[in-house]
Amino acid sequence: MLLLCALTLSIAVPAAADKVKLDPSNWGHEAGSACVSCHTKASSGLAQQWQDSAHAAAGVNCMDCHRAERSDVDAIEHEGQVIATIVSPKDCGRCHTKEFEEQQGSVHAEAYSIIEDRIPALAQNVGGAAMQAASCDQCHGSRVKVRGDGTLDPATWPNSGIGRINPDGSKGSCSSCHGRHRFSKAQAREPEACVRCHSGPDSPDKEVFEASKHGMVYAAHRDEMNLDAAEWNAGRDYTAAPTCVTCHMGAAGKLPSTHDVGLRNVWSLNTPVSKRQFLVIFEDGHKMELPADEPAPRRGTELTRADGTVGTVKAVATPERRRQAMSLVCVECHGKGFTESFMRQFDAVVELYNTKFGEPARAIMAGLYERGLLTPTAFDEPIEFTYWELWHDEGARARHGASMMSPNHAWWEGMYLVGRNFYARFLPEARAVAGEHADELVDAVLRANGQHEWLDQPDQASAILGFAPREAE
Amino acid sequence: MGKLRAPVFITRHVLIALVVGGVGGVLFMTFLLEFDHYTSTNAFCTTCHSMTYAEESYRQTVHYDSASGVRASCGDCHVSEGVFAATWDHAVGSKDLFKQLFGPDYDDPVINALHLPEAAFAARRWFQARDSATCKRCHTQDAIQGKRADTAAIHREETDGKSCIDCHYNLVHRKVPDESTFKRDAWNRMVEEEFGLEPGTAEQLMSAH
Repeated sequence: MLLLCALTLSIAVPAAADKVKLDPSNWGHEAGSACVSCHTKASSGLAQQWQDSAHAAAGVNCMDCHRAERSDVDAIEHEGQVIATIVSPKDCGRCHTKEFEEQQGSVHAEAYSIIEDRIPALAQNVGGAAMQAASCDQCHGSRVKVRGDGTLDPATWPNSGIGRINPDGSKGSCSSCHGRHRFSKAQAREPEACVRCHSGPDSPDKEVFEASKHGMVYAAHRDEMNLDAAEWNAGRDYTAAPTCVTCHMGAAGKLPSTHDVGLRNVWSLNTPVSKRQFLVIFEDGHKMELPADEPAPRRGTELTRADGTVGTVKAVATPERRRQAMSLVCVECHGKGFTESFMRQFDAVVELYNTKFGEPARAIMAGLYERGLLTPTAFDEPIEFTYWELWHDEGARARHGASMMSPNHAWWEGMYLVGRNFYARFLPEARAVAGEHADELVDAVLRANGQHEWLDQPDQASAILGFAPREAE
Repeated sequence: MGKLRAPVFITRHVLIALVVGGVGGVLFMTFLLEFDHYTSTNAFCTTCHSMTYAEESYRQTVHYDSASGVRASCGDCHVSEGVFAATWDHAVGSKDLFKQLFGPDYDDPVINALHLPEAAFAARRWFQARDSATCKRCHTQDAIQGKRADTAAIHREETDGKSCIDCHYNLVHRKVPDESTFKRDAWNRMVEEEFGLEPGTAEQLMSAH
């Protein structure tokens, strides 16, 4: 219990659906009615969506969100007002302070910073510049460029990627999940709010959820989800089923809600080898993930973050505490033993992936690069695609499938394909690249691993391929 | 009936003066009309190379190429209607000629782009001071229908106290932000990037004059 309290205090703040504490005199800009009058005609769709929103009901108008200072990089004059097209998390944070502070530094807000230097190898080399704007950046976000003539560079805008670097320096895009201009709570609580990015080969969370018991129950009882409720505490305001929000962000029992979507995640699941992770919280409120196989940084340590800035460590949440937070959601519907055993099954799949495939494949690739048998340029050799798909697509699918209980994604769409890739593509390609060094660079890794010995037993006959084992003669 | 006689003060000299003055006046007015007419043509305006940059963007717009075949010339928008106003505009506009001859080298595309914002701001002020009078030579607010559903309603109901130029700036020439949000530094960096120049070149070029 003590631990529970400490957890609540250290990695989260107040309870569900935080009320805006700002005095209403701070909104209701007098120019707002003129915006609405014209935009009802000029772009009736977005005007109507705003009319139907909680913002309109509370008297929050266009200018309250879009107003800008003349000195703002992206400020433009529009019908006599100084405005900005982009409403950044910082702008939303003028009223929604708690959500803004939680979101800044989250794995969502850092989604672009984390991969910015890696994007070109795939988006620019394998694809082309057009692909980055239309694809990568649409989920990860773009570094929005304001041109000297005040326009937003079309190579970087429109964009509502979750880790967008905004002209004001803030990261993220609230409209990524909260469709503008209605900002419906119910819509953001739906699993569909996450689908734009969490679907497809590398993180098929939509498909995984739908194929899981959670998704099945949700589909059957969607009308009992109380999605419009002001507060949405699992176990109290709804019990029919969980959605993505329930487990990753939502309030459950005494566990407060959070806009840091990665807070309750123990593992990195989209890396070549999964790591248990520390969540480092900095003095300035920013956060960073660090692998837990190295000692935790002490309070007061200075660390360089993904975007190059340096922060001072304020607190560190261990993987165990993050797991406890997630488990608090589970126990609103499941027994403690059930929850712990499920987590054990999930962890076992991640560890299996790591030790049997992820680590040896990584070691083999490292050997090939070290010997100069592969060029440093990514994706200019076939095996680099093979390796990429092994962990980024198939391996991630297997791990996500196990984390959210889709048997199909864990195995057929996941680990089965990892195995097929590893044995039937990766190893033969690695041996071919290694040439005369194949035994040293490839097979020695397998021998040391100890999970591939079945390959040395060619007489294990089975009917699985449709050939009955022959009777002993 | 007595014979009509000219008053005594109409002497021979007065008569000659009146005829000469009358003919001279007609000739002078004709000259002004023709002068204003000629100096409002695209051909005249683009005799200065510096003006061809403005022409480039204008040629991309509907004011140059309209479906109905109507084409607005430089003077249609930038020179007032009426011989006196037009003459005045040309007289004031002659400072541009002076600057062309003795000012920075506006023929250089970089110099031209760097100085464009101030030119745009001046032009906008000119339109504002005349309540967009030259727009209204062709456009009648009551007659605006537009292609989109509510264009007519917007022009009917949302334009109180507004002049055409208040909303419709950046219509024909290269986009320049409103003066209130213009950032010289950002503009300079954009021009440098566009012409592949080292950062800081813009400031050097601008301070050279």
